[in-house]
Amino acid sequence: MDLMTNALRGEGIALSFGGIKVLKGLDVEFRAGEITGLIGPNGAGKTSLFNCLTGAYSPQQGAISYAGEALNGLPPAARANKGIVRSFQHVALCPDLTVRENVMVGIARNGKSGWLDAFLPLPRGIREREEMARSADAALADLGLLDVGERFPGELPPGMQRLVEIARAVVGKPSVLLLDEPAAGLNNSETRDLTKVLRKLASTELAMVVVEHDMDLVMSICDRIYVLNFGEIVASGSPEEVRSNPDVVRIYLGSDEDD
Amino acid sequence: MSDHATHLAPGQVILSRLSGVATSGLTTAILVAVLIVMPVMLGGSWIFTLGLCFANSIGVLAVSLLVRYGGEVSIGHTFFTALGAYSVGVLDTSYGISLWASVPLALLLGVMFGLLFAWPSRNLHGIYLAVTTLALALAVPEMINNFDTLTGGYEGLYVATPFIPGIEMGLQRYYVALFLLVLVCLAVARLRRSRQGMALLLAKTNAAAADAFGTRRVWARLSIMGISGGIGAICGAALAFSGSTVSPGGFTFWQAIFLLVGSVVSFYGLSLTRVLIGGAFVTLVPQLLSASGAWIPVLYGLALLGMILLGHYLPRIREMMSRKSEAA
Ligand SMILES: Nc1ncnc2c1ncn2[C@@H]1O[C@H](COP(=O)(O)OP(=O)(O)OP(=O)(O)O)[C@@H](O)[C@H]1O
Ligand SMILES: [Mg+2]
Repeated sequence: MDLMTNALRGEGIALSFGGIKVLKGLDVEFRAGEITGLIGPNGAGKTSLFNCLTGAYSPQQGAISYAGEALNGLPPAARANKGIVRSFQHVALCPDLTVRENVMVGIARNGKSGWLDAFLPLPRGIREREEMARSADAALADLGLLDVGERFPGELPPGMQRLVEIARAVVGKPSVLLLDEPAAGLNNSETRDLTKVLRKLASTELAMVVVEHDMDLVMSICDRIYVLNFGEIVASGSPEEVRSNPDVVRIYLGSDEDD
Repeated sequence: MSDHATHLAPGQVILSRLSGVATSGLTTAILVAVLIVMPVMLGGSWIFTLGLCFANSIGVLAVSLLVRYGGEVSIGHTFFTALGAYSVGVLDTSYGISLWASVPLALLLGVMFGLLFAWPSRNLHGIYLAVTTLALALAVPEMINNFDTLTGGYEGLYVATPFIPGIEMGLQRYYVALFLLVLVCLAVARLRRSRQGMALLLAKTNAAAADAFGTRRVWARLSIMGISGGIGAICGAALAFSGSTVSPGGFTFWQAIFLLVGSVVSFYGLSLTRVLIGGAFVTLVPQLLSASGAWIPVLYGLALLGMILLGHYLPRIREMMSRKSEAA
């Protein structure tokens, strides 16, 4: 398999809101088989870039493609069907659904059960739900959340809610996984567990992108890092290269209080 | 009001879950059993009123479902109940066809018109959508009178064809409504566990997240309006059969308001117990108050206010009590 073609690419992505330029013509490439870090101070445009890639925002300029196929104009749902999924910086779980069901939503779109199954106790719908529940439990188990499957998100501490959101993103075996600050709100031991999980998730088929303010996490798991500042890529390369880049050091010393 | 539904206080969330667990299964089964034997103990007029109460409960459920799964408020559901009621009335009086065919037709029409309404209004939310549904409700009596060759105009229609020949009509009017109510409640309980139902709930609370996992907003809106419209039409069908007459007076704008009020006083509950409370409110309160003449609207308003205040403070009172018992 040609790993180079299985990449999510953005070329010349420019996004502005009412004259305020949020992204200023970015070129990014997130390759399968790699964990790519996306770092930068608050307001740099990291989440906005995710929103462009997933179709929540339509950038005014630029081309977005996955495995050579153009994604511009495709709605978020269609991009999800291509295996491009994300987690949200602000936890976006449904409070009315149990933890397990929240994770099941991550694969619900692949279901074959129709409206009759939705209202009547037909064998196909029941079987499908059991299969989805099993997949969800497997994803929850990977994150050490199996025993809270029956609970509701509101009953869990914020750190755990974040992990549930990651479980929802990974349960469908995505080809591109965009994680927006997965470690925010996690304590040290939870962050260590998360690091292990993310390493375990990494595979030759998966392009993983991590937006994160926790530098230790980013430096330890990422193969490559993009540094974003005011909507521009100011540096990119291996963790060592980025760490020793004087621009990056300046940006991060300048915004130390953010962490 | 949709705000109230989507952002429940923690106390209310816990309460609704506790009551959800308690009313599912055993409580519901006992309740159904009691309702089945009820006609043995009650006189004809009570049976008639209870039949109407069951039918109205279905309408309350239709409105509550829209709130719970769509996050939207309708003050126009009489449009759908009228569709269902006239399906039954017209097929009965013009063709002598009974519920076997008219209930499925009602469901079909309700879903169809739910979708037809949802498409042009798909980008409206909150008060804007509510006002649009209001237009539906206001149009209903006019439309009924326009098609008076079919609908019988102001006079209305009389539904007389039995559902199951040989059984006394008064009992049929009771049991058919009860049967439809239980059936709809069971179907709605299943929806909660289906992939479509879960997707709808996520779309209601977080449209961006639903989008990111393959649920389009337009799909969500069309689906919930179709479902709610279909259930509304079943309510109408049950009303027509249990009430035995179908006339424009049953589908006024006020009736649409009553359905919403019933939904509010049952706290948008979807369990049998809850929708029965709402249905009883819609059916019984106007009847009980009709003895008080000019005071009806005031008393109705007070009764409504009482229910809402109770619903608002009950969870807090319970929370306080449970905190006290924990401390003790
Ligand atoms: N929908 C929007 N409308 C207007 N401005 C927006 C919108 N979304 C983002 N922005 C602006 O774009 C800029 C970049 O925001 P973004 O959320 O992408 O930053 P970020 O790098 O994710 O920051 P953080 O680390 O705080 O999450 C900010 O100035 C923000 O105000
Ligand atoms: Mg962000």
